[in-house]
Amino acid sequence: MHSHAQTPAVLACGDYVRIFFCTRPPPEETGLFTSLIGYVDVDSADIFRVLRVSQAPVLSLGARGAFDEFGTNPVSVISVGDEVRAYYAGWSRCESVPFNAAIGLAVSRDGGDTFQRLGPGPLLSYTPDEPFVLGSPKIRRFGDVWYLHYAAGRRWLKSPGRPEPVYRIRCATSTDGLTWHKAGLDIIKPQLGEDECQAGADIVEFAGRWHMFFSYRWALDFKNKARGYRIGYAVSDDLLNWSRCDAAAGIDVSAEGWDSEMVSYANVFHHNGTLYMLYQGNEVGRHGFGLAVLDHFSEESRA
Amino acid sequence: MMQWQKVGRIFSPAQHTLPMGCFAFAKSPQAVVFDRFVRVYFSSCRRDESGKYLSHVCYADYTPDFGAILDVAQHQVLPLGELGAFDEHGIFPVHIYREGNELRAYTTGWSRRVSVSAESSIGLAISRDQGRTFEKIGPGPILSASLHEPFLVADGFVLKIAGTYHMWYIYGQRWINGVLGGQAERVYKISHATSDDGVVWTRTGCQPIPDSLGPDECQALPSVLEVDGVYHMVFCYRDAIGFRTEPGKGYRLGYAYSRDLLNWQRDDGVLGLEPSGSGWDGEMMCYPHIFRAGNRIALLYNGNGFGLEGFGLAYLESEINEHMNS
Repeated sequence: MHSHAQTPAVLACGDYVRIFFCTRPPPEETGLFTSLIGYVDVDSADIFRVLRVSQAPVLSLGARGAFDEFGTNPVSVISVGDEVRAYYAGWSRCESVPFNAAIGLAVSRDGGDTFQRLGPGPLLSYTPDEPFVLGSPKIRRFGDVWYLHYAAGRRWLKSPGRPEPVYRIRCATSTDGLTWHKAGLDIIKPQLGEDECQAGADIVEFAGRWHMFFSYRWALDFKNKARGYRIGYAVSDDLLNWSRCDAAAGIDVSAEGWDSEMVSYANVFHHNGTLYMLYQGNEVGRHGFGLAVLDHFSEESRA
Repeated sequence: MMQWQKVGRIFSPAQHTLPMGCFAFAKSPQAVVFDRFVRVYFSSCRRDESGKYLSHVCYADYTPDFGAILDVAQHQVLPLGELGAFDEHGIFPVHIYREGNELRAYTTGWSRRVSVSAESSIGLAISRDQGRTFEKIGPGPILSASLHEPFLVADGFVLKIAGTYHMWYIYGQRWINGVLGGQAERVYKISHATSDDGVVWTRTGCQPIPDSLGPDECQALPSVLEVDGVYHMVFCYRDAIGFRTEPGKGYRLGYAYSRDLLNWQRDDGVLGLEPSGSGWDGEMMCYPHIFRAGNRIALLYNGNGFGLEGFGLAYLESEINEHMNS
């Protein structure tokens, strides 16, 4: 692998914590990248201590013509009995627009070292009101209900370079994580107008409420500090109705360094009594991901 | 064996002005019988700026006996999708399902890909003007790729039976290498789904038609007609490689029947419809639509070149269930 460590996703493994992420081999002659899933294991007792890094992708790219032929990114993982499931976005390349995406599922029976697809096609695909670009899956299970939050494209915008999609956070629920019922709603009101792009909706239960950390940016000219990704925040008491309050997210770009222009794609998790947030920095993770700790939370977040 | 009378070609795109700048092909003719005329929907092509074909939905109205063309639509029946949509680069085929006064168009939308030629999904549009125009229920499809049907969902045909909607359609199973490193070729099979409302579908996982040409057989355009409790399916099938240039490997018509909608008996020879040996359907027959035209059973189909030269009609002259008694 050559560059990028994107979209971190943790899996608690006893003595160690496995952080899956998406990384890239050198670009093709056309300049286009593929993206594959790897991991880094860190010490449970000291999560800044790296134990090992995967030496091969945990999941191959899809077959010719498949929805995931050109990339598996992002990934979100969950333990189910002896298995680990990876929900991921698969990427295909198109003629009139640069890409399309749909959500796939792969399963590991060796603790997350290698994954096999449940089938060659996507688990979650397009419907009349979610016509393309289904990506950015985040899998959670609260009680007996599985929740998949994901981004769904709503239109493509023409721009001087290449067309860019507008996408919003959507939700589906399931009793087994396999058969999904789409809610059919945009659940987070946009703050940047009709063309706000939203993705990466990670949810954590804390202090009696559900807290969502997501990413949002402008649809066009977004590869810069002013219009690039930020981490937004919403709170809910029923996992259906969300109050957006980005100011309470409590994390923004740094004054300088690897996360000075963008922060996005949070993965929030409890570990040893502390709430942590993994997130990616500038150029959507070209230079890696980082870690933040919850210091205190604001009035807006309280029940 | 069934006895069919070939009426011959009844539509040639070269002889008509078509809407949207279409000039080539009249593919997958499908009839809707009205009181005073029969409307035949089909897809025709124009070229876009890049020189590639775009398929558009068209129709022609016939007298009930197909003796004369009354009208050829000159307007846009159903727009193609917006930038990036599943049906941006063509709609082919279109299947019109009528329930009461409502006409529903089950479309197959196409969009172009880079590593393979294209992807497709099935969409739905509703007409509120007796089939003159249709409006999509949304920009996305109603049936698209799934875990075990990974791409190229297409060719939906719908029947409502005892309160349940049934759809026979096809899906792509594999892309395989073409000849001498040429473009990838697809392998697709007929499949089946059911629905309570005709909009949200559940796949039954049943592949109703066993292969007769081996695992790389391509099956397309299932069309089903019920007669006295027996369901008759006419479809087309071909080899995966060489089908464009070698007549023996191109599309021909297949046939299967069922009494319970789940178990199908394939018996292509019973259909008794073969290419004519010369003329517009001399080498190929494909994209069939079996339907009732008054008190007769009729079949619309395409001939050579996947409908390049238009479509034709045949009437069944024998009793359709007869072969099951012999």
